Amino acid sequence: MCSDVSMLLELQMRLRRAILGGDSGEIVAAIQGDGLDPAARVGIYRHHAFATLGDALQSTFPVLCRLVDKRFFAYAAHEYLREHPPHARCLAEYGADFADFLANFTPCEQLPYLADIARFEWALNIAATVREVTALQAEALAAIPPGEAAYVALRLQPSLTYLASPWPIDAIWQANQENEVPPIDLARGGTSLQIRRAGEAVAWRRLDPGTFAFRTALADGLVLAAAMSAATLKDLAFDLTEALQQVFADGLAVGFVISPAQENRQ
Amino acid sequence: MATRQPIASGRVGIGLRLPHVSEIAATRPELGFLEVHAENYMVETPALDRLLELRRDHPVSLHGVALSLGSAEALDRDHLLRFSALVERVEPALVSEHLAWAAIGGAYLNDLLPLPYTEASLELFCRHVDEAQEALGRRLLIENPSSYFRYRHSTIPEAEFLTEVAVRTGCGILCDVNNIYVSASNFGFEPLAYLEALPIAAIGEIHLAGHHAAEDVDVLIDHHGSRVAKPVWELYAAALRRFGPVPTLVEWDTNLPALEVLLDEARHAEELVDVQRCVDAP
Repeated sequence: MCSDVSMLLELQMRLRRAILGGDSGEIVAAIQGDGLDPAARVGIYRHHAFATLGDALQSTFPVLCRLVDKRFFAYAAHEYLREHPPHARCLAEYGADFADFLANFTPCEQLPYLADIARFEWALNIAATVREVTALQAEALAAIPPGEAAYVALRLQPSLTYLASPWPIDAIWQANQENEVPPIDLARGGTSLQIRRAGEAVAWRRLDPGTFAFRTALADGLVLAAAMSAATLKDLAFDLTEALQQVFADGLAVGFVISPAQENRQ
Repeated sequence: MATRQPIASGRVGIGLRLPHVSEIAATRPELGFLEVHAENYMVETPALDRLLELRRDHPVSLHGVALSLGSAEALDRDHLLRFSALVERVEPALVSEHLAWAAIGGAYLNDLLPLPYTEASLELFCRHVDEAQEALGRRLLIENPSSYFRYRHSTIPEAEFLTEVAVRTGCGILCDVNNIYVSASNFGFEPLAYLEALPIAAIGEIHLAGHHAAEDVDVLIDHHGSRVAKPVWELYAAALRRFGPVPTLVEWDTNLPALEVLLDEARHAEELVDVQRCVDAP
């Protein structure tokens, strides 16, 4: 029976390769013709898999699709699918590394901002599919002894993404919500964004360099002292007390830990 | 927390698609139940909140498409846990999956791929149905797929295979009459004979949907994107004669029309149920 299951596994791996790789050579001998070329029969499944998974990517990356046009998007999606088929069974979770794929996809070289648009749309997708949890109140930190405050690491809302780009990706995205896309000046410079869930909607805003560096460091799990250093590098006048108050006021913090480094410090 | 709402005998439901949600919530049409693809509700979108609201007025059926019960490897425990959590939250009247596989070696292919029907695959499939029913704490209905090829080494007819799965695992059968029609047309078997090979007591739901002819090859495709075809209605009437007034779903997943078109299809199905009731009445 064990060898029967391994034969079935081999058969399924062959069909997987036939669907993703496009060559049915390994599987046709196992398929009954029933009046048709077995390879054409496999092609029906291949077509369905690529069409539906391509549709899933298109619904997660609609502006990206609009920027490159549908045919090119379908081509890029096809190449991505072959190399990076989904692992998760929920299609809303497919496409996490599509941006990285596009960054190295030679036919996209002329549009260097595409990968960052994909990163932005992926962040919007995270925010749309992850609920915010109850925010921590600032008073929760009151009990921490002053000497340990610098070693506190905050946990932030799971829907959050911090994303910086040398391109005005938010403006590009916004312009592409219109029927007639207004011109965008790519030379106007980059942007640093916070993207999150807001109730049932998704919201993003631009952050100043100090705040962006601070919050990105917090999101990376850095302790307050390290996050403050990162922020001060970007903004010499960075005010930790005010920045921290704003983090709580915005409902971004959901928990905290005192860094183990603090315990070892003694 | 509302408790599980059962589906009344012979009632007809429709597949719930996002563009129809607000209209259904506002107009509360007469519907036997709503069915959703489980995988679309495993993420925390506002659509999940809408479903949890709608379930107060309508029984819900959870239809899984990605459990991949036919894979020749262990079931994806993570996915099974998420499915189980959703069942707990939605408390569906029915939970169903497919006689198929969809993932292997870490790749999910988003399709209901055919199994060879052999004693070995039967044993494997039954083991996975047992495991899923155990994890979900529910009886599953297993749906017959539409198929575009058969394996040379299959030794068991599909209806017999499905019947044996029901016997060995205690699961029910979701009889998709459009899938029977499509496969029968693609492989040249008699659809009525397929219906007659299924065990009456195991049938827990019937699916109806549209199909179309492929453009380049002589094959029918189950695309869930048009009205139910006339011969499929005839097969449905035969299924009602054999199985009695089983809850029935009108599926429509692509080229989504106005809600009214789905409601019209559902009304037609209920008319056929009523006709059969009159015939059966003593």
